Amino acid sequence: MARGCRLLTALALLGWLLGACAPAAPTPTPVAPTPAPKPVKIAIVSDIGGRGDLSFNDMAFKGGDDAKRDFGVEVVEVISKVEADYVPNLTTAARDPDVQLIVGVGFLLSDALAEVARKFPDKNFVGIDTYAQSIVQQKYPNEYPLPNLMDVVYEEHKGSALVGALATFLAAEYKKPHIGGVFGIEIPVLWKFEIGYKWGARWATEWLAKNKPDKAFPYTKDFVLWTYTGTFSDITKGYEAAKAMYARDAVAVYNIAGPLGLGINQAVEEIARAQGLKSGPPFWIGVDANQDWINPGFIIASMMKRVDKGVYYTTKLVLDGKFRDLVKRNKGVLVLGIGTKVDGELMEGISVSTLADLDEFIKMGETAEKLTGKKVLPAPPDEIRRRVKAMRDAQPAWIWEAVAELERMIRNGEVQVPMVTTEEEIKKWREELG
Amino acid sequence: MRRARPLLESLVAVGIGLIAGGALMLPFRYHPLKAYQALFQGAFGTPHDVMETLAFATPLMLTAVTFAVGVRAGLFNIGAEGQMYIGAIGAVFAASLLPLPPGLHILVATLVAMICGALWSLVPALLKIWRGVHEVISTIMFNWIAFHLATYLAIYYLAEPGRAERTRPALPTARYPILAEGSTLTAVIFVAILFCLAVYFLLWGTRMGYEMRLVGENPEAARYAGVQIGQALLWSFLIGGMAAGLAGASQIIGRPPAWSLYATLGNVATLGFDGIGVALVGRNHPLGGILAAILFGALQHGGRFMEYHAGVVSELVRAVNGLIVITLAIPELWTLVRRRLTL
Repeated sequence: MARGCRLLTALALLGWLLGACAPAAPTPTPVAPTPAPKPVKIAIVSDIGGRGDLSFNDMAFKGGDDAKRDFGVEVVEVISKVEADYVPNLTTAARDPDVQLIVGVGFLLSDALAEVARKFPDKNFVGIDTYAQSIVQQKYPNEYPLPNLMDVVYEEHKGSALVGALATFLAAEYKKPHIGGVFGIEIPVLWKFEIGYKWGARWATEWLAKNKPDKAFPYTKDFVLWTYTGTFSDITKGYEAAKAMYARDAVAVYNIAGPLGLGINQAVEEIARAQGLKSGPPFWIGVDANQDWINPGFIIASMMKRVDKGVYYTTKLVLDGKFRDLVKRNKGVLVLGIGTKVDGELMEGISVSTLADLDEFIKMGETAEKLTGKKVLPAPPDEIRRRVKAMRDAQPAWIWEAVAELERMIRNGEVQVPMVTTEEEIKKWREELG
Repeated sequence: MRRARPLLESLVAVGIGLIAGGALMLPFRYHPLKAYQALFQGAFGTPHDVMETLAFATPLMLTAVTFAVGVRAGLFNIGAEGQMYIGAIGAVFAASLLPLPPGLHILVATLVAMICGALWSLVPALLKIWRGVHEVISTIMFNWIAFHLATYLAIYYLAEPGRAERTRPALPTARYPILAEGSTLTAVIFVAILFCLAVYFLLWGTRMGYEMRLVGENPEAARYAGVQIGQALLWSFLIGGMAAGLAGASQIIGRPPAWSLYATLGNVATLGFDGIGVALVGRNHPLGGILAAILFGALQHGGRFMEYHAGVVSELVRAVNGLIVITLAIPELWTLVRRRLTL
């Protein structure tokens, strides 16, 4: 009897629940009688880092916000929780009839973008830092290049050359024997950073010989200390690698391993605490995002890959109706760098961080604090700004001017920074630069 | 009537879970019915979505078997996670490096993964049988060893040249056929369901299964009846290991588009732990596990529509899903606790 009662209650509950749900389910969305022109919708699909990573994903969403502000588009964010979400997330966005552009953030989405873009030929797809078209070329050579897919890539070698020169000028100013670079796993993409950095260092020694003979020193193969740590996640490895470099009196260490920057920062903090320093040297150099705020006074600058610009420009290309034409012309790859132009319009994506960018990234940090509920910023925004400015002002002006000069020369094509992507080239350049 | 009771209880739990999840959405000013509509239509609205839901369900029904078959023999085996990593690595090795003819290649890669998973469960099994080391401790430790071993092998020995983020992909001869163009569901789901059915028949249709369950229900009686307890435990671990290994393989040779293991283990991570929840919701029954896995798959795949169409932020989607799962697990958890208390 008791069991019967319980069963009945259960059934009643269930019935109530189904009753409650039933009327809602089949209701079709009411069609507006006078269809007003709908705003164009773009969807941004994150990688598993999600929001609050203060790097690729946050920058991509910032690009979406900027596009919303300037072009009046509607932006949908889709967060991927696991790798298996990439394909269904891109598909969900592509099936939304209002969406015209789907952006996948980060190279991990390359395979998924190639597959989904094939299935939705009337939608436009963009990958940030991806190589989806080369996957198409390998797997479906007849379809290459897909007319609706664009990989946005960046000229990291040029940005790396600028920070290589900056670090070398600091070495000259503080009479230090080395600069350093901590790399992640040795993949061809990182060779661009490595040789760019070393090339910039050598360019700086030549500049010094001409313009500042009293501070000049010859470039030697052991001037740049460099380590491939074999990881993009083990922060301890970044700490160990950087510590060894600072022990050899490196003036600045370039972070080319994402989160390992926190390990480099740890090594710097240790020295700062032991010697009671409020500002570098020693310095480190940030990458991808503006990382200058992480430990204000000790990050001399960051080599920024403006993911936000990638989202912003490709949205503009779609709105202007130029997207597919450009895909056809460029085989589906859009290079954003220093002085890069599309149809005469400047579309840049690489720069050395300035004091002016800092505010945008502090704001990003504040949003991340709100989103994650965790403390992100090391100090109040004003204090960060003040300390970064003080650090920059403490360096002699000729350093910043010389870096600006290199940027100008790269922009005008007066110098060519080598872009290394093959095994042969990397061997050749290491022979030359160490 | 008696057989239907667990099913009914679970259905009631589903209802309560949904109501609880809805209650969680209200203070954040989301519309629960609209959100659930997006969830259900997202998970089952079109054949394509049903297939995606099943693709998410496939590995979970297997890792649920690992836990369920342990509980049936009186074990709390939470080693599916690690056994699955090792199975995945075995699958990568066999699928990407051994040049074998089509058909045979799939079979070999699947079997290698299952054997790897079973071998990884062997040490905790023997520690338990010979030295009485509690399986919770040993399997947790083995999960971590497996994590680091798999990461190491993936990065240093199996990485695809030039693409450090993942291992070499499975050769086309080792890939389960995709069931419909553009879907991520492959024929590996049939293997998974067959495996669950086989475990069901083993547990309730054979002497070995009877002995395993007897050991789980009442070890003293089992000993008195002359059951080899060690052997029953060993089989429970090994079958669980095979299920977990197969789950790992299903993500390597049965899941486009990567067909490989990410160096972060990101495309298999947590599937083993999720299996514990699936097993509890499925009342530690291999067939109940299949239904529960489909429910989990629906929450996972349909969840993105809650986010996309109803605008529920992704963190809350996860919280609602978690709440539903916890509510669903309560009946079986209660049974487990009650059994402990009365023994």
